[in-house]
Amino acid sequence: MIDFIIDGTFVITYKSFIRDLNERNYYYPVYRSPDLYSYCLNLCYALINNKPITLIDSDINETELNSLGLANQVDKKELLESNISYKSIDVILNSISKSGSLITIFTSGTTGQPKKITHTIENLTRSVKKGDKFSNQVWAFAYNPTHMAGIQVLLQAILNINTIVNVFNKNRNYTLDSIEKHNITHISATPTFYRLLMPAERVFKSVQRVTLGGEKSDNNLHSNILTLFPDAKITNIYASTEAGSLFASKGEFFELPKSLGDLIKVVDNEILIHQSLLGKSGSLSLANEYYPTGDLIEWIEEEKGLFKFKSRKNELINVGGYKVNPTEVEDVINSLDGVLQCIVYSKSNSVLGNILCCDIKSIVPDLTELSIRRYLSEKLQDFKIPRKIKFVDEISLTRTGKIKRI
Amino acid sequence: MEDKLIKIINIIRANKGLSKIKQFSENDSLRDNYEFTSFDLAELTVRIEDEFDIDIFEDGIVSTLGEIKAKLSK
Repeated sequence: MIDFIIDGTFVITYKSFIRDLNERNYYYPVYRSPDLYSYCLNLCYALINNKPITLIDSDINETELNSLGLANQVDKKELLESNISYKSIDVILNSISKSGSLITIFTSGTTGQPKKITHTIENLTRSVKKGDKFSNQVWAFAYNPTHMAGIQVLLQAILNINTIVNVFNKNRNYTLDSIEKHNITHISATPTFYRLLMPAERVFKSVQRVTLGGEKSDNNLHSNILTLFPDAKITNIYASTEAGSLFASKGEFFELPKSLGDLIKVVDNEILIHQSLLGKSGSLSLANEYYPTGDLIEWIEEEKGLFKFKSRKNELINVGGYKVNPTEVEDVINSLDGVLQCIVYSKSNSVLGNILCCDIKSIVPDLTELSIRRYLSEKLQDFKIPRKIKFVDEISLTRTGKIKRI
Repeated sequence: MEDKLIKIINIIRANKGLSKIKQFSENDSLRDNYEFTSFDLAELTVRIEDEFDIDIFEDGIVSTLGEIKAKLSK
């Protein structure tokens, strides 16, 4: 039987996965699990039983849970009277594809707190490809499983009965050894993930497809990837938490998919997505049924729908594929005794694309970078914590009195 | 140069709540010996750039202490 998940020394087959699903009679509507298999089992069980599920990061802390209003719900079991038996994987996959579950995920909001987006399975599987061509694939799983990109890789792999090898947050040697040992054929990850596999000292011929998403990539990285994986085809994917993956690249450039017709528009160089493609959220502001993504493009050939991404309209900072809202981080720093004012901004970085920096004006002399970092690590997930903190006498303001970002 | 570099490495470890490293060797792996994640490596580039004005990761990832020293002494 085909292996389902390989995670370190842990290996589970699809056969055992079916057994585990059949033996279950509960699930966690809000589950905080660092273990990939437990997470997948819970997610699939919820989907099969058409139950709502909220996906949260395993490193989320109590302060963040409180602010999302989830503190009382996390890791609470809900018993289900499920007497249905799933004898074959096909029946299970069919129920997952047709699930009536509402799946809630979070995204960095442009103002204040993260925002909630609720998706149907139809939204999440829109870009999943199925068929004989997609069987026998072995995936390196390199995304956070609770984020849009991770969910899409999981569904793509599960719905084609593919093997998933967990390399998320693993080091370079472990990842490269796993690619070799398990003959990995497909990798989907952020440009940062691939940058960290360099220099290309070894060659892996098993890899057929390399997908990049989540941040800007460049030609230099592409050629390094091809040295490492000489037989791989490279694809860039544009996806958003609000809508899932929408378009893939044609070489260096992206192409508006004709199948989506008018559902995607470009106005003033900004990509707008029609509401029918979006998950449900109370906090998305729409303009004439379209959601302004904040992603700005430059046309390469407008008649053919070819374009490339240029920048973002809002202030979200992309750190290695994680989007950080500087206001959220500033709010937490400002809550610290002795901090008069602070500004969180980005500096370009050769490892992560961007790195978070922070200038602080304080009145307490014993406030140190270390003490602030410790405080923040209790309040925020690691990727939201500024990696460089500078104490300053004055923070420059713009003429309108708004804090100036660099 | 080496003292400053070692100081930077230990600052990053302290920020993560890890103990100071006392014995350093050229072959030390940044990821394995110092337990640096991608975010720590990014922090390392910023701190080294502030101190020495060189982006050690500009043309590819370096993996050992010796490789950083080689870049800085160019």
